[in-house]
Amino acid sequence: MDKILRINMGSEGGPQASEEPLGDYAGLGGRAMTSAIVAKEVPPLCHPLGKNNKLVIAPGMLSGSNTAQSGRASVGCKSPLTGGIKEANAGGQGSQVMARLGYAAVVLEGKPKDDTLYKVVINKDGVAITPDNSLKMLGNYDLIDKINAEYGDKVACISIGQAGEMKMAAATVAFTDMEQRPTRHAGRGGVGAVMGAKGVKVIVLDDADMPTRSPKDPEKFKEANKAFVAGLKKHPITGEGLPGFGTNVLTNVINEAGALPTHNFQTGRFEGAGKISGEAQSEIMTSRGGKVSKGCHKGCVIRCSGIYNDKDGNFLTKRPEYETVWAHGGNCGIDDMDAIAMLDRMDDDYGLDTIEMGATIGVVMEAGLAKFGDAEAAINLLKEVGQGTPLGRILGSGAAVTGKVFGVERVPVVKGQALPAYDPRPVQGIGVTYATTPMGADHTAGYAVTANVLGVGGNVDPLKPEGQIELSRNLQIATAAIDATGFCLFIAFAILDQADTFQAMLDLISAFSGQELTADGVTALGKKILTDERDFNARAGFTKEHDRLPEFFQNEPLPPHNATFTVKDEDLDQVFNW
Amino acid sequence: MELPITFCPRALIRKLDDVFKNTCNKVYVMNAELENDPKAVLSLTVEEELIPTFYVLLSQGFTVKVRVGCTMRELLQRQLGLSADYIEQRLQTIFLDGKAVDNIDTAVVRNGSTLALSAAMPGLAGATLRRGGAYASMRSQISHGKSKLSDHIKEGELVLKLFNLVARELGPMFLAKGVWLKGKSLQGFLQKAPDSFRGGCRAAELNGQPLDIDSLDKLEWDQQEIFVTVKKTL
Repeated sequence: MDKILRINMGSEGGPQASEEPLGDYAGLGGRAMTSAIVAKEVPPLCHPLGKNNKLVIAPGMLSGSNTAQSGRASVGCKSPLTGGIKEANAGGQGSQVMARLGYAAVVLEGKPKDDTLYKVVINKDGVAITPDNSLKMLGNYDLIDKINAEYGDKVACISIGQAGEMKMAAATVAFTDMEQRPTRHAGRGGVGAVMGAKGVKVIVLDDADMPTRSPKDPEKFKEANKAFVAGLKKHPITGEGLPGFGTNVLTNVINEAGALPTHNFQTGRFEGAGKISGEAQSEIMTSRGGKVSKGCHKGCVIRCSGIYNDKDGNFLTKRPEYETVWAHGGNCGIDDMDAIAMLDRMDDDYGLDTIEMGATIGVVMEAGLAKFGDAEAAINLLKEVGQGTPLGRILGSGAAVTGKVFGVERVPVVKGQALPAYDPRPVQGIGVTYATTPMGADHTAGYAVTANVLGVGGNVDPLKPEGQIELSRNLQIATAAIDATGFCLFIAFAILDQADTFQAMLDLISAFSGQELTADGVTALGKKILTDERDFNARAGFTKEHDRLPEFFQNEPLPPHNATFTVKDEDLDQVFNW
Repeated sequence: MELPITFCPRALIRKLDDVFKNTCNKVYVMNAELENDPKAVLSLTVEEELIPTFYVLLSQGFTVKVRVGCTMRELLQRQLGLSADYIEQRLQTIFLDGKAVDNIDTAVVRNGSTLALSAAMPGLAGATLRRGGAYASMRSQISHGKSKLSDHIKEGELVLKLFNLVARELGPMFLAKGVWLKGKSLQGFLQKAPDSFRGGCRAAELNGQPLDIDSLDKLEWDQQEIFVTVKKTL
C-alpha cells in the first residue's frame, strides 16, 4: 500500500490512469486518507456532481493483511446529500483486495465528456479503463453476475446500481461480499451519485498472485492478533450476541427503551417490533435453511451477517441489519419481515441507502402518499426510485428534499441526511453526535471507545448530564481513528470493556506498521481527521447553526416517555472545543 | 474500565439448571392452579430444535405471579432463582416499565410492572442502555430512578420479557415450568408458524385432553390468557 491510483475521467482522449507515491498522505488509511485528500484537493464550493469533486476509495491501514476484522474501506467525497465532506465505509472484499494490489487509495477525478459508462479493471498487471455501455442501468446483482462471467468469481467489485447512474443523492457504492453478492454498501451521503457522475459503473479488483501484506514485526503481530481474536470471541456482544442475532438484536431492546422511531418519529414504540426483531429474524432464517451467522469479508470473526432466504428457500438478501429493519420496518409501520427483506434486496440492487430510503418513505407516508404499515406501497415506492420516474427521482433525493416537495414539517434530518434508528429524545447523548458530526446525522460517527479507556479529555462523570458533550466529543474522536484503521466498528465493544483487547489492538497496529502506537496517538489521529473535516465544511459554508437537530425534537414530546431534546445550543457548540 | 464479562455461559446454565431443580418449586410460584378460571392450559411436547421458535413469544412478554413491592435483586435472585453471577454478568441491560435500570438494589418491582431482561447490546445506543455503564448519562431522561420500598411485600403480577441470549438461556426453563400468554399472541404465533413446526411438535394437550396437532392453528384464543407449557421430547 505504497501508492495512490488516480483516474482522470475527463482527460483529453478518454480516461487516464496514473500512479503516484503517497507523499503527504503516507501512513494514512481509510477515513484518514479520504478526508485528507478531499479536504486538501476538493474545492469546498464545487458542485458535488461536477468535475472538481473527487471520489476517494481507501482501504483501512491494516487491510490486506491477516489482521482480524480489518476489511473495511472508506469512500469519501463532497456529499451531494449534505453539501459537506463525506466518508462512508463498508465491509466486503474490496478493501482487502485493493490493499493487496498495493493501493492506499483509488481516486476518481474529473468528469467524462459524454455519458459513456466505464468499467475499471485493476490487477497485478495494471489498470484498464474501458467503455462498456452494455452495463447501463443494470442493478448491482445483474451487474456482478455479468462481471463474474467475464472475470471469474475470485474478483472483488465496487459498483453502483441504477440510483448511482441517475446521480441520486441517496445512492450508495456497493462492495461484493465473499459470495460475490453486492450486499455491503458505503451507504450514506450519496457517494454512489459521485461515482455515477464520474461515469464509472464498476471497479473490478483482481489480486491474483499478489501477496498478503506483511507486518514489520511478524512475531509480535501474530501474538497480538491471537489475543485480539480471543478478546473478540470471549466478549458477549462480539462473541455471542452479534453472531446469534446480527445487529438486529437491538430492535427489541431499543423498542423497550421507547427509543425506536416509529411512524416517522411520531412515537418511540412499535407494536410490531417483536415480529421483526433479531430473534424473530433468526428463527425465520433458520427455518428456511438460511445462515444465521457469516462474515462479510475474509478475516471476520464476529460474523454478524447471514443469509435470508425467501419462503421457497432461495437466497433473497443478506441478513437485514438493524438500521434497515428499523428504517423500512418500525419507521414505516411495517411488521412483515419478508417485506423488509425484499426492500433490503431492492436497496442493494438499485444501490440505495436503506436508512435514507426508509426515512424518506416514512416522510411520504406522513404526507399521505401511502399508509403507515402498507408494505406493498413501500415496495412500489422503491420501485419508482429504481425506475427513475419523476416521483422516484424525488424520493431518491432523500428525506430532506422529499419533505420539502410534499410539505412535511417533521423531517428527521441533520445537514440534509436522515437520522438513523435511535430517537435522540430519550437517548440525548446520541442526539449530540447526530447534531454535531461533520457527516450529517450518523449513528456511527460517535461509536467507539470511551474516554476512560483512551484518557481523552479527562475522566467524565457519567452521572452528570453535562457529561454528554464530553462523551460525544471523545466518542467522535475515537471513532474517526478506528475508521482509519479498516477495523470493523463492532470491535468497539470488546475494546471498550476489555483493557487487554484494547492493548492487543494497539499492539497489532504497532507490530504491523513498525511504529509504536499509544492511546495518545489514536487520539491525535482522530482529532486530525475531525479537524480536516470540519475545516472543509466551514469552507463549504457550514456554521454552528448547522449543528442542530430539527426543531420538532425540542417541541414534540416522544411517547412513551414524553421526552424532548433538551441539550442547549451553547453546549452543542462546545463539542469540538478541545 | 474492566467489566466482569469473562464467564462460561454453559457452566452458568448448568448452575441455573441446578438452581431451578432445587428451588423453583419454592420460589417460582407461577403455575396454572394459582390463576383464576376460566382459562385454558395448553401443554406441548416438541423436539428440542423447536424450542427456540418460542423465544419470540417470550420476547413479547408473558405474565408471572410473584411477590411485588420488593427490589429487583430480591425478585431475580430469591424469587426467580437466578444466580448472582448470572445477574451480574449476563443481565447487562434491564428495563423496568421501559426505563433503563442501573441499580437492581434500588429499583422496586410493583404490581403490574413490565420487566425486560437482555444481555449487553451493541452500538452506542446499546452501550448507553447498559446497567451502570459509562454512557448512562446519555439517556438520563429514561433512567430508572431510585424508588421507595413498599411497606409490605404482597402477591402480584408482572409482565416479563426475555430478549436475545437471555431468552435462549432461561427460555427453556420458563417454558418447561409454564408461562401465561395472551391468547391473541399465541394464536398469531401458531397461525404463522412454519410448516416445520407441526413436524417437530410431538404431542399436544388442552386442559389435560389430547389435542390434534393439526388443529393448533385453528383454535381461537383471542380474548383469553393461556397457560402454556412446552417440554422437549426425551
